[in-house]
Amino acid sequence: MAQEKLTISNTIRALRFAKDEMTQQALADRVGVSRQTINAIEAAKYSPSLEVAFRIARVFGKRLDEVFECLPKPR
Amino acid sequence: MSASFEEKSVWIQLGTMTVGLGVYFVIAGPMLASGVHAVSAFAALFMVAVVFMVVLMVIAYIVAALTTKVEGRDERDRLIAWKAEHRSAWLAAVGVLGAVTCMAAGVDNVWTANLLLLSLALAEILGFVLQLVYYRRGV
Repeated sequence: MAQEKLTISNTIRALRFAKDEMTQQALADRVGVSRQTINAIEAAKYSPSLEVAFRIARVFGKRLDEVFECLPKPR
Repeated sequence: MSASFEEKSVWIQLGTMTVGLGVYFVIAGPMLASGVHAVSAFAALFMVAVVFMVVLMVIAYIVAALTTKVEGRDERDRLIAWKAEHRSAWLAAVGVLGAVTCMAAGVDNVWTANLLLLSLALAEILGFVLQLVYYRRGV
């Protein structure tokens, strides 16, 4: 069964800057992952687990769909 | 993007294994070609290579720990390690099948053992290379 390819984008970078220019390291420490993992998520090179995604949203006091967005992958 | 301690750890393992086992096979190859059949000669050479790798690894890990914040493995590190192993294990399986075939065909044990060692080493090296690709290109 052919499925539509999806890409997950996020607004983490904008949310960090809106939250007193929070660093990637500070966010990583609060979420419990490495700074490089936060960097990879921001760059859409890694899709986090649901648990980490919820933790990130909770740090910014946002709903999951306000932080992450799922779009069809452009062909 | 600077490398995490986990990524540096992969570089260290790749480097030490390539150098250590590279030196072993550079010496063992001509020994095999010249007809050395004593397993003890290869075992001694292998032990020297292992000690050499351990010493290199300890030094490299000390340097990495002093220059990088040591954080535990997170979910991305675990996924990368699993995915790389999943895609490199076939090489070890081919080596094991080759070794079994060699034994059944009555090939000298020394050749069989070295074939097995080579396939395991190549599988590990392929796994480390894939991990580095996933760290850089994304997973």
